[in-house]
Amino acid sequence: MSRRREQYRLAIVLLLLAVLHFALRPFLGDFRSSPDLLLLALLVYAIRAQPGQAAVAGFLVGLVVDSLTPVAFGAAMLAHTAVGYLAAWGKAIFFAENLVVNAGFFFIGSWLRDLLVLVAGRHMDQSAMVWQLFFWSPIKALTTALVGVVVLMLFRRWLPIRITE
Amino acid sequence: MTFAPDRFSSRRDTLAFLVCLLLAVAARVAPPAVQDTVSRAVSSTALAPFLAVQHQAQLVKESRSRVAAISVLRDSALVSAFAAHALQEENERLREILQLTARLPVRHVAAEVLHQSGPNSGLMVVLSAGSNEGVVARAPVLVAGGLVGVVHSVTPRSSVALLWTHSDFRVSAMTLDGSVFGIVAPRRAEGPNTMMLELSGVPYQERVPIGTVIYTSGLGGARGVYPRGIPIGHIVAVGEEREGWSRTYVVQPAVHPAAVSHVVVLTGPAIDLREAFAEYAR
Repeated sequence: MSRRREQYRLAIVLLLLAVLHFALRPFLGDFRSSPDLLLLALLVYAIRAQPGQAAVAGFLVGLVVDSLTPVAFGAAMLAHTAVGYLAAWGKAIFFAENLVVNAGFFFIGSWLRDLLVLVAGRHMDQSAMVWQLFFWSPIKALTTALVGVVVLMLFRRWLPIRITE
Repeated sequence: MTFAPDRFSSRRDTLAFLVCLLLAVAARVAPPAVQDTVSRAVSSTALAPFLAVQHQAQLVKESRSRVAAISVLRDSALVSAFAAHALQEENERLREILQLTARLPVRHVAAEVLHQSGPNSGLMVVLSAGSNEGVVARAPVLVAGGLVGVVHSVTPRSSVALLWTHSDFRVSAMTLDGSVFGIVAPRRAEGPNTMMLELSGVPYQERVPIGTVIYTSGLGGARGVYPRGIPIGHIVAVGEEREGWSRTYVVQPAVHPAAVSHVVVLTGPAIDLREAFAEYAR
């Protein structure tokens, strides 16, 4: 498969995730526990990108999130930049070929993003933050990881990721 | 897992990361006016098509609910009790909004709530109505049950509302007869689903019985932010006492933002709305 073709396919998957993030939102129930497809798109991109590219992508995703929910403008940019960079850097060291490892990767990425947004934002009182980080964020991370695994399974021929079960 | 040293980050990657981090920090510490400008610019340009998709999806969801409701009426025996209950709740919410719309004596706009997915989404929400529909910043946002929040920023086709759960939220409040006044603000969370409000600054000699409904006071007159008479919640407990000078009361909010799918944004002057919510008082 040519490199250009690979890039087109990856772009289609990422665009699909971005559109579904908005189109499915009304049908996904409680926003605190529903999967974050925009973050998932970032992590899928970070799997195969250089850390610098992933950091820039993270910054742009953060800008989108901050524009939609400007509670602590800049916090999401900071968090997504760090998560994108760390995800690409982590993937550069370890090729995760196992579905469970990929699920764990999505889970940690989602939870870490929430942690960084809340710490950088400093707009929640301590008890609300604890409930968010240890109750709602793990549920959201879990649903995001599950959807991530489904995406990898569905598009494994399109995404240049080797998966062994 | 296989170790892959050839893909370590280069100096260029580190530089890109640091530049992005610096830009993010600059955005975080930028003046609110600059933050609002950037936020509005992104929302009204790059994000506009995506928000339009979400708005359409919300409308599709509602249309499906209505079609299903008609099917339920036609062939109700075939619908399970659970599904019927969910549809009934959805219909009741829509009907409440319609009834409230009919009762409100002030200009207003109905809007869908476009919930997002970040950890801050319980503090601010995107609304499907913007300046094209007459929405302005600092306009009160409410549902039939009571106050939800206030408009924070506006783009031509959408707006962002700050909810009562946000730590910056404050509203001047009173009892229905106007005998007790205070300031309502969010209280610290006591569970994943138990966000409460607190009424503070109530003089020590004033006693507010448990169960008393708290309304917006409308201080500021017709040019103030909140009109008089929008329900905020009801007193459920006495909170802290401050050296015999004032008391704080715990308020159960009238509306939980996570359950809100449609709202009304007031666009007219802040006139007395107690009549519109008279049913709530009873």
